[in-house]
Amino acid sequence: MAVLSDNDRAALRSAFTTALSTAFEPLGALTKAELRAALNAVDDWVDANQASFNAALPLPARTELTASQKARLLASVVQRRFDLGV
Amino acid sequence: MASGDTLLVFLPADNEPPTSNYATLDLRNNHPVLDFDDTTNEDAVFSGVMPEHYAGGGITLEIGYSMSSATSGDIDWDAAFERIGDQQQDVDSDGFAAANSVDNTTVPGTSGNVDVVQITFTDGVDMDSVAAGELFRLKITRDAASDTASGDAELHFVHVMET
Repeated sequence: MAVLSDNDRAALRSAFTTALSTAFEPLGALTKAELRAALNAVDDWVDANQASFNAALPLPARTELTASQKARLLASVVQRRFDLGV
Repeated sequence: MASGDTLLVFLPADNEPPTSNYATLDLRNNHPVLDFDDTTNEDAVFSGVMPEHYAGGGITLEIGYSMSSATSGDIDWDAAFERIGDQQQDVDSDGFAAANSVDNTTVPGTSGNVDVVQITFTDGVDMDSVAAGELFRLKITRDAASDTASGDAELHFVHVMET
């Protein structure tokens, strides 16, 4: 599995700032380019660690969940941790 | 009409959005604003009649804006006139003159603060030769393709003054 395409990363960066704008949530001292660099780093990190993430899943989930379901599971846990302030 | 005197004021509700890539009306703490995207260049268009007391000294626009979320980076604004006048423009097509710009303005350090920038036009071709008493349109564009501030820019007003 490869990293997101440049177009996908650009669209994601735009969607991220749109969500912040909708909520009038201050971004902090980051330009568009600097935020994009952070997004790129997250995508690169996910790509580099997908094997170890998969290995961390216990059986039978590791073999029974689809790749899409594993991604959604990861996103759900991260989002929930953020929501609870863990 | 003296230099610096008000000719017209346009507010967000006065926007006549184009069919595509238009700034969108929004409320920020019940303040009407026009949101301009940070990725795609978007436009707001305002119609007006140049007051008869316009003395031909050129136009200075003041653009009041704030940022929805950004507290750093810079913003670029463009403005262009379209003279409709007396049989000067077939309204079935657009005829805006070349835009004038104010670029690389550092955005306010607090996202809700309203900053004011200026764009000047000399009388004549620079403002599509709009004359006193003539109907015209004014297009305001955020040059998101060139500026660096993240998130939406919010237009609060456009103040048209005699230079």
